[in-house]
Amino acid sequence: MKKVQFSRPLFPYLLLVPQLSIIMIFFYWPAAEAIRASFYLEDPFGFGSTFVGLDNYRDTLSGSEYGRVAWFTLIFTTLVAFFSLAIALLLAVKADTVLRGARSYRVALMWVYAIAPPVAGLMAILLFDQRLGPFTHMAQFFGWDFTLGVNYWDTATAMVIVSVWKQIPINFIFFLAGLQSIPRSVREAALIDNPNGLSRFFSVTFPLLAPTGFFLLIINITYALFDTFGVVDLIHKGEPGNNPVTLVYKVFLDGFRGGDLGGSSAQSVILMVLVLILTVVQFRFMERRVHYN
Amino acid sequence: MAHVILDSVRKTYPNGYKAVHGADFNISDGEFIVLVGPSGCGKSTLLRMIAGLEDVTDGEIIIGDTVVNDVDPARRDIAMVFQNYALYPHMTVRQNMAYGLKNQRMSKDAIAERITEAAKTLRLEEFLERKPGQLSGGQRQRVAMGRAIVRNPKVFLFDEPLSNLDAKLRTQLRAELKALHKRLSGTFVYVTHDQVEAMSLADRIIIMSAGQVEQIGTPMDLYLQPASRFVADFIGSPSMNMLQGTIGADGHTVDMGNESTLRFAAPIDAQPGTKVDVGIRPEHLQATSSSAAQFGLTVDFIEQLGADTVVHGKLTGQTDPLTLRLTGVHSIATGESFSLHSALENIHLFDSATGKRLN
Ligand SMILES: Nc1ncnc2c1ncn2[C@@H]1O[C@H](COP(=O)(O)OP(=O)(O)OP(=O)(O)O)[C@@H](O)[C@H]1O
Ligand SMILES: [Mg+2]
Repeated sequence: MKKVQFSRPLFPYLLLVPQLSIIMIFFYWPAAEAIRASFYLEDPFGFGSTFVGLDNYRDTLSGSEYGRVAWFTLIFTTLVAFFSLAIALLLAVKADTVLRGARSYRVALMWVYAIAPPVAGLMAILLFDQRLGPFTHMAQFFGWDFTLGVNYWDTATAMVIVSVWKQIPINFIFFLAGLQSIPRSVREAALIDNPNGLSRFFSVTFPLLAPTGFFLLIINITYALFDTFGVVDLIHKGEPGNNPVTLVYKVFLDGFRGGDLGGSSAQSVILMVLVLILTVVQFRFMERRVHYN
Repeated sequence: MAHVILDSVRKTYPNGYKAVHGADFNISDGEFIVLVGPSGCGKSTLLRMIAGLEDVTDGEIIIGDTVVNDVDPARRDIAMVFQNYALYPHMTVRQNMAYGLKNQRMSKDAIAERITEAAKTLRLEEFLERKPGQLSGGQRQRVAMGRAIVRNPKVFLFDEPLSNLDAKLRTQLRAELKALHKRLSGTFVYVTHDQVEAMSLADRIIIMSAGQVEQIGTPMDLYLQPASRFVADFIGSPSMNMLQGTIGADGHTVDMGNESTLRFAAPIDAQPGTKVDVGIRPEHLQATSSSAAQFGLTVDFIEQLGADTVVHGKLTGQTDPLTLRLTGVHSIATGESFSLHSALENIHLFDSATGKRLN
């Protein structure tokens, strides 16, 4: 990289100020505030706060409610990550084999990614609507009395489906790029060495896609944990009732609906630690990652 | 029995491009065949059709006694070596070689035995546990060859396997390849655009141009009796001189337009007055006394190659380029003139219009 010498030593820092201030205002400051608040008991009506040490964490972690939501979040994340990766991989493999159609495939599958989460949620609500929803009708056709927002599991199903649907395009793009970066001759060599297509996929194509796959796994876990907030919110129509919520949504519920700022801050600090762990895992892997050729 | 027969094989790509216009030839068991021709002439297409990596648009490909048009590449009993090696980057050298055999359900012991033997032949023993990324280009290409050898296939296919390597390594691997062919006595089909590789490796050369087979023959056939101007021009370096001439009235002579006339013993297979290209290889021209001269050369510049001296110039008094190759070291000045002579059996006549050989 080219080194530029500035005559005034402070000038480079001046150039960094806009970026740094954005990071400070929108990331470090709220994060620090959350950590501070997690040690206080806030009066819901804003009349001061009391230092309570780790009480908020103890209350959060010992509550049965938190365990239940954590379990649901774990299952939800696993399902969303698994299905959005698996379906995207399947689509990418199919698109890759009909290379000539790849362009239209790509566009057809990519546009979903351009939809904002609330819009996706709205579309989902139409799909799963009690009276009009095509999905509800289809479920009924198979004898499944589907009631969004009433039945816990039905709502969970809708949440998983919408979240998966929303995430498939980006996975698809990465997988397709990964597939197309495998040299043609390597696959042709495999074609000569192995008559079985499925075994060929798992012994040659899949291992060569593994770096892409791992990267996407982390991305998808992060997505399912955090970025599904909009989807969850719309499916609940702001009335979670007894319906399933994820950990991130619970932070919002407890803090802004329940007025328990201390408890919800403690929860967000726990989530921050989780993100930190995921990031470390990802970087570790990227460093150790085998660079083929 | 592993001969390969191509019976009017054609290839039209899905975009409508006709890459091969009807290839007809037999490759005998154990023969080393080299497919050669300029870039884009359809060599790889032909090879890939034999491998099963491209569909055959029309015609039949027979390996052994089976028509293989609809047989999977993996079931054709062939092995292929690619230009860019095409090794599996996530497998060790040993796993690369074992992969094809495992899929044939061969026993572990038999696989290990074959790998040990191939590794010994190719001097790869110390690299068996490495990944391809940790090998040099030459080593990778030897692994690719090893992967082909262990399968003990009926037919070995090579698509420019040496062209990514430096000149010295190429010469070395060429010799190894030749030795390998002797030892394995398999049928080899080898694609290259390098005529030196073709001449030095082949039992027979198939020379292609624009999707068409131009000539099939031993390297010496192609050198001594090129069937067309294209072949004459492609084989040999520096390439054959082409001069303009006209068939004389009696059908035995070629009028060279500079008062000199070439007289052939046998009648020339063309009408008097036909325009012909007169081809003479630079190494077949000799300096001579002016009385026996057929051509005059005025020197433009020379190339000193050590063993040879290549003299570039023009036909005296004309603009046609003429090249002369002399053995040994000579010092020759620009503007100097030579009187040249060539034995008639080394002079090739081609119809200017069709490019076909006439004598
Ligand atoms: N998949 C394809 N679709 C359309 N045309 C193709 C395709 N593959 C090759 N061609 C065309 O067919 C012709 C022959 O290609 P081929 O690869 O056989 O050439 P080649 O003789 O091996 O050349 P080179 O020495 O450069 O490797 C070329 O003009 C090429 O552009
Ligand atoms: Mg080629």
